[in-house]
Amino acid sequence: MIAGASSWPARLSGESLIRLLALLLALGLLVVGLLFPLAAMLIKSVQDRAGDFIGLANFARYVQTPALAGSIVNSLTVALTSTVIVVSLAFLCAYGITRTCMPGKRLFRMLATLPILAPSLLPAISLVYLFGNQGWFREALMGESIYGPIGIVMGMCFWIFPHALMLLVTALANSDARLYEAAEALGTPKWRSFLTITLPGARYGLISCAFVVFTMAITDFGVPKIIGGQFSVLATDVYRQVVGQQNFQMGAVVSVILLAPALVSFAVDRWIQRRQVAQLSARAVPWQPSPSPLRDWTFAALCYGVAAIILTVIGTAIYASLVQFWPYDLTLTLQHYAFEALAGGGWTAWFNSLTLAFSVATIGTLVIFFNAWLIEKSDGYRALRQGLHFLAMLPMAVPGMVLGLAYIFFFNQPDNPLNWIYGTLIILVLNTLVHFYTVCHLTSVTALKQLDPEFEAVGASLKVPFWTTFRRVTLPVSLPAVLDISIYLFVNTMTTVSAVVFLYTSDTRLASVAVMHLDEAGYFASAAAMAVLIFFTSLAVKLAHATISYLLLTRAQHWRQAS
Amino acid sequence: MTTLTIPRIDSVHAAVADAGIHLEITGLTKRYGQFTALRDIDLAIREGEFVCFLGPSGCGKTTLLRAIAGLAPQSEGRIVQYGRDISRLPPQARDFGIVFQSYALFPNLTVFDNVAYGLRNRRDERHLMRQRVAELLALVDLSGSEGKYPVALSGGQQQRVALVRALATEPGLLLLDEPLSALDARVRVHLRSQIKALQARLGVTTIMVTHDQEEALAMADRIVVMNHGVIEQVGTPAEIYRHPASAFVAEFIGSMNFLDCQPEGGHGLRLGEHRLDCAAHHCADHERVRLAIRPEAVQLCARDEGLSARVDHVEFLGAFLRVSLTLEASGQALTADVAVRDGERLGLERGMTLGVRLPAEAMRLFPGQEARA
Repeated sequence: MIAGASSWPARLSGESLIRLLALLLALGLLVVGLLFPLAAMLIKSVQDRAGDFIGLANFARYVQTPALAGSIVNSLTVALTSTVIVVSLAFLCAYGITRTCMPGKRLFRMLATLPILAPSLLPAISLVYLFGNQGWFREALMGESIYGPIGIVMGMCFWIFPHALMLLVTALANSDARLYEAAEALGTPKWRSFLTITLPGARYGLISCAFVVFTMAITDFGVPKIIGGQFSVLATDVYRQVVGQQNFQMGAVVSVILLAPALVSFAVDRWIQRRQVAQLSARAVPWQPSPSPLRDWTFAALCYGVAAIILTVIGTAIYASLVQFWPYDLTLTLQHYAFEALAGGGWTAWFNSLTLAFSVATIGTLVIFFNAWLIEKSDGYRALRQGLHFLAMLPMAVPGMVLGLAYIFFFNQPDNPLNWIYGTLIILVLNTLVHFYTVCHLTSVTALKQLDPEFEAVGASLKVPFWTTFRRVTLPVSLPAVLDISIYLFVNTMTTVSAVVFLYTSDTRLASVAVMHLDEAGYFASAAAMAVLIFFTSLAVKLAHATISYLLLTRAQHWRQAS
Repeated sequence: MTTLTIPRIDSVHAAVADAGIHLEITGLTKRYGQFTALRDIDLAIREGEFVCFLGPSGCGKTTLLRAIAGLAPQSEGRIVQYGRDISRLPPQARDFGIVFQSYALFPNLTVFDNVAYGLRNRRDERHLMRQRVAELLALVDLSGSEGKYPVALSGGQQQRVALVRALATEPGLLLLDEPLSALDARVRVHLRSQIKALQARLGVTTIMVTHDQEEALAMADRIVVMNHGVIEQVGTPAEIYRHPASAFVAEFIGSMNFLDCQPEGGHGLRLGEHRLDCAAHHCADHERVRLAIRPEAVQLCARDEGLSARVDHVEFLGAFLRVSLTLEASGQALTADVAVRDGERLGLERGMTLGVRLPAEAMRLFPGQEARA
């Protein structure tokens, strides 16, 4: 042992040098992929077309243009309405799942996650078929048009509902049976224990959920793009200014404005997350509902109603993509799936999307998990790791439209040494990876926090390099989280429109963008067909992923069960 | 907080002189922001020694262990191992094996792979490695468990796997961080002797952190008693028990009676209206001191043969009786442990009055309460 001592310091400095390099690389990724583009966008918003500094003149012009400033009110109205509807509906359904004995819970939860698999363009397209000028339920709107706030709110609700449901199920699942037993022993009526125990227990989850829903609603681009009509919102304004009018400065101004509510809700959400930790007690006993037919079936009826709406919306898109000419010629055909002659890139775009989604899922999972591990399990470089954690949290606050536009400003500068990635698949991978970074980072951190904090110390004491311990222990033990991250990235990449809409070129057209272009060009059935194609691709990959995960977690991970 | 009795020759320094020093710590301080977890620690550990860091939670014992391992580098001070300054080296470059309280066994690896974890890296030949793992597992009676996963093992078995994993690379220093605290009392006692025997057999220098004084007394060659980030005393278990260097050590190890009294001459104490003989001390007569004496050293006798005391309570503890007394002269409480037979001879019962003798050789003197502040 003593003889070998002289060789250790050399290898060791190598090892910590590699760790430092890896941390700097992670920092570089987020600085180049997030900070610099955002900075470029902020700079652009205070410049004129010639690139000279003009202070807040662009913002002044924005406020003075009613057509633009009106969008703020529009966006807020639509987002607030959607938030109220989605949160109340999701709360009731989550209550049904967690606090009643309603039958078919698992089926409902499966059906309720379906909207996540489709781009937000899909519900908008379906709503046009259902409530548009040729729609079956047109009369239900009592003369109002589906093109406008009504359509936007309906589409948003459909698309955001699953996210809200997941958050609220988690919030309501954290119950402490002892509190309810104490209340019952004191003769407290049910409604009172709901108000004094259930609601306060879920309050952080509720507030957090409301902010997530609000942010998603105010930043979504797909729904208002398809169904907004003349009703403009902030997200569509960014697109119109940049793509329609080539007014990049005004695009930057609208982006900065769009960034504000997202940043606020991000800050509130972080604050709540910090509060929530202290609230949970490790000694809580989970509450088990007991059957109560009237309550159970009331909630079942509500949940099945929601599920029926979800199936109707998705089914409409599928059906519309399969008939000759809605609603006049309902003979079935596959002709709308022959995209070749139409706008948007067709099957090539679908193939590009698939390539992009697989790339982001594999590269993103490894990079984000490894970075989270560096941040969570290294010692030393405290400031660097905290900075990295903050940067990893930031993408959640940056709407896709803003990030996409920021990438144009930053990477399209001719003097940027990274200018060559502009217009390639690489920029799409980088953009999408950064766009969905935060949730993956949080999932990784949560999984890593559950590991024994001494694994790395044991590895070091046994003179095993840190990357070996990462490969042999940390990664395999965190496999469930890693698998979750990969499918999250895949599905989101497959369905996203907002960020990539600014970054594709004729060589890198994407399926979700193609939906939009087909719709713009008036090929409504083909737009539906492409959206349905994305939906089924996501579904198929998700099912395959679930199967592989099951096999991996049961066969290769039998160390989890004592036997 | 030094003892007031005339100090004996410091056994630590005497002993260090004749055995090789494995680890030498000088002036070690560890701060977390404003909080000082360790203050100016000096300590030398001999080759092949079993040392326990003992103290209440928060005393800095685990921090000291982690500083030695390089897991929580010290703010100031030097650590020298085999004459090599390792103060600034990261854990990978230091020569130690470690067992954590949680064991930190890799859950996804078999017992074999866990034990071989540090061996694999050396690219030893496969059959040599297999042989080595088999030997190691045999050492701790776990032969045949190679293919099992940690989750299938009992706590005691997991602990032993963690132990041989740490020993597999033949480290010069073994660090044990509360290795037994997560186990049942019976397993703990069994493993205690097993670890001690294994350590003696391999001769590996070992440092164990514990808050369990019984464990420390039973296992250690020397005990380092710590409190509030400083070392209170270093010594063999017998030294620590018989000659505690401070009131804290006296109180923390075993049970101890404390009686407030006043010095009277160089060999005497005044306790109420009685004068007691004691070992030589150098306290002025006006100082207040505390007399410390173990319950088992207190002798009970007939009423007129010692200090008179009232019996408040008699507790039967199997092997002996624990008698709670109040000294009639001063009203101070005193506990005495007496053999059951002696208790019967005296006819112990609640409310009776009898005599108490405090042998001079069993007394220790410490500064009075207010003097400590």
